[in-house]
Amino acid sequence: MTTKKIKKEGIAKLLTEWGQEFTVFVPSREEGVAKWSEWDGKGSGFLDWYRNTVVPPKALFLPPMETMFSFQKEGDGYHTELPPAAEKGWLVFGIRPCDAKALAVLDMTFKDAYQDPYYLTNRQSGLLVGLVCTSPCDSCFCTSLGGGPDDMANVDLMLTQIGDQFLMEAVTDKGSKLMAKTKLAQAATKANETKAKKAKELARSKVTRKIAVDGISEKFRASFEDKDYWEGVSAKCISCGICTFLCPTCYCFNISDELLKKHGERFRSWDSCAFPLYTKMPMENPREEKWRRLRQKVCHKYEFYPYSFEVIACTGCGRCIRLCPVNWDITQVLSNLPDQEQVRLET
Amino acid sequence: MIIYKPKVIVFCCNWCSYAGADLAGTSRLQMPPYFRIIRVMCSSRVRPEWIIRVLRNGLDGVMVLGCHPGDCHYQTGNYFARRRIALTKKFLEYLGVNPKRLQASWVSASEGGKFAELVTEMTHELEKLGPNRLFTDESGGNGTETTP
Amino acid sequence: MKVGGMEQRLRREAAALLEQGKVDLIIGFADGSLKFTTSPLITSDKDDASRLVINPFIANNLSVFLTGVKGRVGIVAKGCDSRSIVSLLQDNKLAREDVFIIGVPCSGIIDLTKVENLVGRDRDEIDDIVRDGDKVTVTVAGKASEFAARDVLFDNCLACELPTPQEYDLLLGEPTPAADDESKAASQEKINRFKAMSPDERWQFWQNEFSRCIRCYACRNVCPACFCERCFVEEAEPTWVQPIPRWQDNLIFQITRNIHVAGRCTDCGECERACPVNIPLRSLSREMYDIVDGLFSYQAGRDKEAPPLLACYEATDVVDFIR
Repeated sequence: MTTKKIKKEGIAKLLTEWGQEFTVFVPSREEGVAKWSEWDGKGSGFLDWYRNTVVPPKALFLPPMETMFSFQKEGDGYHTELPPAAEKGWLVFGIRPCDAKALAVLDMTFKDAYQDPYYLTNRQSGLLVGLVCTSPCDSCFCTSLGGGPDDMANVDLMLTQIGDQFLMEAVTDKGSKLMAKTKLAQAATKANETKAKKAKELARSKVTRKIAVDGISEKFRASFEDKDYWEGVSAKCISCGICTFLCPTCYCFNISDELLKKHGERFRSWDSCAFPLYTKMPMENPREEKWRRLRQKVCHKYEFYPYSFEVIACTGCGRCIRLCPVNWDITQVLSNLPDQEQVRLET
Repeated sequence: MIIYKPKVIVFCCNWCSYAGADLAGTSRLQMPPYFRIIRVMCSSRVRPEWIIRVLRNGLDGVMVLGCHPGDCHYQTGNYFARRRIALTKKFLEYLGVNPKRLQASWVSASEGGKFAELVTEMTHELEKLGPNRLFTDESGGNGTETTP
Repeated sequence: MKVGGMEQRLRREAAALLEQGKVDLIIGFADGSLKFTTSPLITSDKDDASRLVINPFIANNLSVFLTGVKGRVGIVAKGCDSRSIVSLLQDNKLAREDVFIIGVPCSGIIDLTKVENLVGRDRDEIDDIVRDGDKVTVTVAGKASEFAARDVLFDNCLACELPTPQEYDLLLGEPTPAADDESKAASQEKINRFKAMSPDERWQFWQNEFSRCIRCYACRNVCPACFCERCFVEEAEPTWVQPIPRWQDNLIFQITRNIHVAGRCTDCGECERACPVNIPLRSLSREMYDIVDGLFSYQAGRDKEAPPLLACYEATDVVDFIR
């Protein structure tokens, strides 16, 4: 595999070059909160922050608020208009392996029964340039879920920091083409590649939080009816939306129409299964109790998604653990699943 | 010369202030015609959500009118309203909203003249202040009108 | 009594309460799964009492759980938390005999964000944080740095008027003094910076801050004063606030929420701590707290016999705003 390298100072020029063909998104920081925004064309200072963002890159493809279409009264009917298509494809620069894997997990839902154009258009038109995660947090547990801070599987191009340079490795054809085109990067040496390999191994070794996921779906199903367990672990949850909104694989959304006098818009916005009213219907609310909602949240990620798509809908990014106001910890919940043979649900 | 028409919502309690407004009308008192009255049973019915919604929808001011202290049809409603409006007004002012946009007064059933005066003065003050652009946003937010 | 002593006493007393059937449930703090973090412990098992902790990281206001549990509850409460409990008593959300208040005289909770900013490292890269009186020692990679406690405590702790619960069934240690004037001045830094802005600048400031809001409702859910079963944001007929996270609607949500909890907010600071996108919510809630105190000489949660702020009135209430 051809590899190239580029100096840290050269990244800004590289992004400018790529910016001609793509809209470039990078991590950005506002009031101490790291999230993803369009690159302002200025520097590459974000490369100095070695931790992952608070708001995941899913917020680019599935934004907190998104106009689906607008409508205008015209005579007896309505004229609808879709939002303008993006001019250029999207290049997401600096995405971590956990978040890249999460996008791959999300893809499965948005390609399933209905091909969601709002999500897929930008997803398919661009590419992901990943960054190996050299300083995982103590809340990260990506290595337990088949990924890792060096996992190259879901990006088009991967960068690994080696001193004041970055090693570039192409993963997909898209990535190869992009890497081949640029003259700003030079061919990498064997020494560079070895250094990068060591950096990746070191990064992997820093992930200390681990859970056992072999047979987790089975274990989960076995504990499904254990009301005492689920009531116990959910007692401290306050039913806010932090874990679900900031989770890179959560995708529940709400659709609402806003009507003005003669025109309006239909919006899609984030929703959370943790909210008490999430399943409220006119006659009943099947998840009125908090423990049912929490059980469902874990179930969706570790049992139902694997059942539907053969992959766990969690990539171990640890945001839910880090940002929860009551330090609810999914790894604890999963590690302590009661070992009961009571009820086995039919699969 | 009218620069723009300051739209004001006036919450009137059913017993005193609405009757006072009515009297202003039957007495043919001249008032700027840009206000709209919403009748409530008591001034204490006015919720902070309403006041904020008026401003959110792009209207220029809110006036809350009730019976004089001691004369409330429900004995104590206007006292509660007094507390609530006092802290709402101070809080909005702290945020940067001009205090002239939320005003309150007591109008009895016989004070048609006072009603006309209040509405006229508030309209003139808001004219000088300019239209409410608090919630408009060029990029993405629909600021001026929302759900009817 | 040193923290260690309080912790031991708490564990003994909590276990005894459960054993003797004096309470059905104990709500306290246990070690969290991350460094320098604690997590609420809600248990009816007396063996769990040995997991209870008291340390400078017990930030949560546990009274938020009181409106959701049944039976008699033994709850660990710092000064601010006990005021929230009293506020709930005033609102008749709780009967006094259903809650056994285990009072913790508090000397302030350490704000990890402040520590992280001072040492330039994240929480999980710090070896240790130790409080000793008004000094806090932070060790990173074996090297220790000393800071004044004042520089690392939460802002609302710096302004604390009641660190030791007034209302309690059991007090775990000696009362701690309230914040001095210097400390109170330090707590107002953010708010003073805001007050120095012109009205237009202030509004612009909130427009910027609330552009980050994602409507997770953590601020509302972590607040003990927000106990409505159906919050105003969940009303659809009419829709008071659009569910869409535009800055306008985010700001409206927060303004209305603050007005709704006026007189019941005890400035525990949980809303600001819980916010995942660092919106300075306390700059709103503290100001409302001061407005209420200024206008009506009323402080939330001080007197359980007093009627709630907006359910009473005085003939001498402020009238200067009335035209």
